[in-house]
Amino acid sequence: MLAKMKKNRAKDGPEDVYDPEHGKAIIIKNLVKKFEDVTAVNDLSFEVKEGQIFGLLGPNGAGKTTTINMMIGLLKPTSGDVYVGGYNVKKSLKSIKKFIGVCPQHAAIFKFLTGRENIELFGNLHAMDKKEIKQKVDELLEAVTFTEASKRKAKGYSGGMLRQINLLMALVNNPYIVFLDEPTVGMDPRARRKTWEFIGSLKEQNKTVILTTHYIEEAEALSDTVAIIDYGELIAMGSPKELMERYEAKNLEKVFMKITGRRIMEGV
Amino acid sequence: MNIQRISALVKMELKKIIREPAYLFMMILFPLVLTLSFGLGFATMPSAVPEKTQFEFMVPGLFSYACIFIIMSVAQAFSDDREQGLLKRINVTPTTSGEFMGSNLITYTLLSVLQVAIVAISAFLMGFQALGEAPGLILAFLFVMILSLCSVGLGLITATIAKSAEAATGISFIFILPQMFFGTFIPITETTRPIAMFLPSYYVTDAITMIFNGVPLTEINIWFDFTVVLIISVVIVVVGIGLFKRYGKV
Repeated sequence: MLAKMKKNRAKDGPEDVYDPEHGKAIIIKNLVKKFEDVTAVNDLSFEVKEGQIFGLLGPNGAGKTTTINMMIGLLKPTSGDVYVGGYNVKKSLKSIKKFIGVCPQHAAIFKFLTGRENIELFGNLHAMDKKEIKQKVDELLEAVTFTEASKRKAKGYSGGMLRQINLLMALVNNPYIVFLDEPTVGMDPRARRKTWEFIGSLKEQNKTVILTTHYIEEAEALSDTVAIIDYGELIAMGSPKELMERYEAKNLEKVFMKITGRRIMEGV
Repeated sequence: MNIQRISALVKMELKKIIREPAYLFMMILFPLVLTLSFGLGFATMPSAVPEKTQFEFMVPGLFSYACIFIIMSVAQAFSDDREQGLLKRINVTPTTSGEFMGSNLITYTLLSVLQVAIVAISAFLMGFQALGEAPGLILAFLFVMILSLCSVGLGLITATIAKSAEAATGISFIFILPQMFFGTFIPITETTRPIAMFLPSYYVTDAITMIFNGVPLTEINIWFDFTVVLIISVVIVVVGIGLFKRYGKV
């Protein structure tokens, strides 16, 4: 039985299941999510190309986290479809979980474990080889210069340090698609810049990154494509440069203010 | 089922117990203090059974009592992990609900058996003498393991109802108190017996009392108790897992 399980595992890694559809890592079709009489996501449709950093922007309560939660299978859509890495989330969530990494908005960390132990735990939950886990954890900790601090229990970490471990836990399984929900909230400017560099390096590794953020300069600096959503609807999408040209704005923040401000003024 | 995942989760839960002083107290010191207190308080007091002291009469009940407190630990742990978003985080890894629940059943059954072992060792050190042979003690621990599984199930039901870890502590007493009063070391009367017959701890205490009194292990009443407590426990574990998965807001 053990031999059979090991054999299955060898054929069951992320590389065996990841199969994007024609270079599209994510396809969202007419996605709707209703919570009783509140429509959090309203007929949302977009595609994310493989290897892109895709910024999902929007004011508080715009539906960003709800959209991400439907992409990773934590919430069931009221209607519509989500395809991640070529798989329909409704039908093949088990396969999807093998090649995604998720960094939640609030640092979800076992405080009684050390930073290293937290990352290792998630390597084990992805059934990675012990040697591979050690190698990957060393590599990740070194990349954000966290090696020494990682030996301490997470209980004593600052908010910024918790966010860093939160991010590394999402990357231990070497995912093809990474979901980062407000990854730099609570970090000081230096740690934030460093994390930006780190997120930028994920693109060099050909990973697709879905990034939600409140920091518009973060989306502008990192994203290849930005989707602005408000009241659960897609209101603009394009590269930061395209959006600035389209809305005749100097930066993405001005674009954001123009679009979302206008909607507030119009009472949409 | 992936053994690597289950073992990683069991190790993580055990580290929580070892590294968190509050949990460590609940798991290790509580059964020790409990047995020592009862031992010192009742070691010389005569019981309703002429050849036994009140403490000796109470020991089988203390075995069950140590097990039922796992309800509170499980309810707190699940509610706490849920509040901190840890259950959601585990839910987006390839870990199946069977692996996750299995690891928790293993961890808390292990801890429960450890607690009862502490009760047993301290009771024996305080002069408690069980009649019968080693297989009887093994059977007593088997009863304890089944009651522990039942307690994990009740802990999951509590965590499903409770909105926070603090609420879970309070709600867990709905399941702890009746079992404590009608199924452990407090003598059962004809008035309380009809209530006790619905509680798994009653059957466990009854069986362990027979085993420690030297009743042959082939005695039909022991196996009747075994069957009843096994059925109740399986039903409660299945209901607990089902409810937590469906309504536990993971």
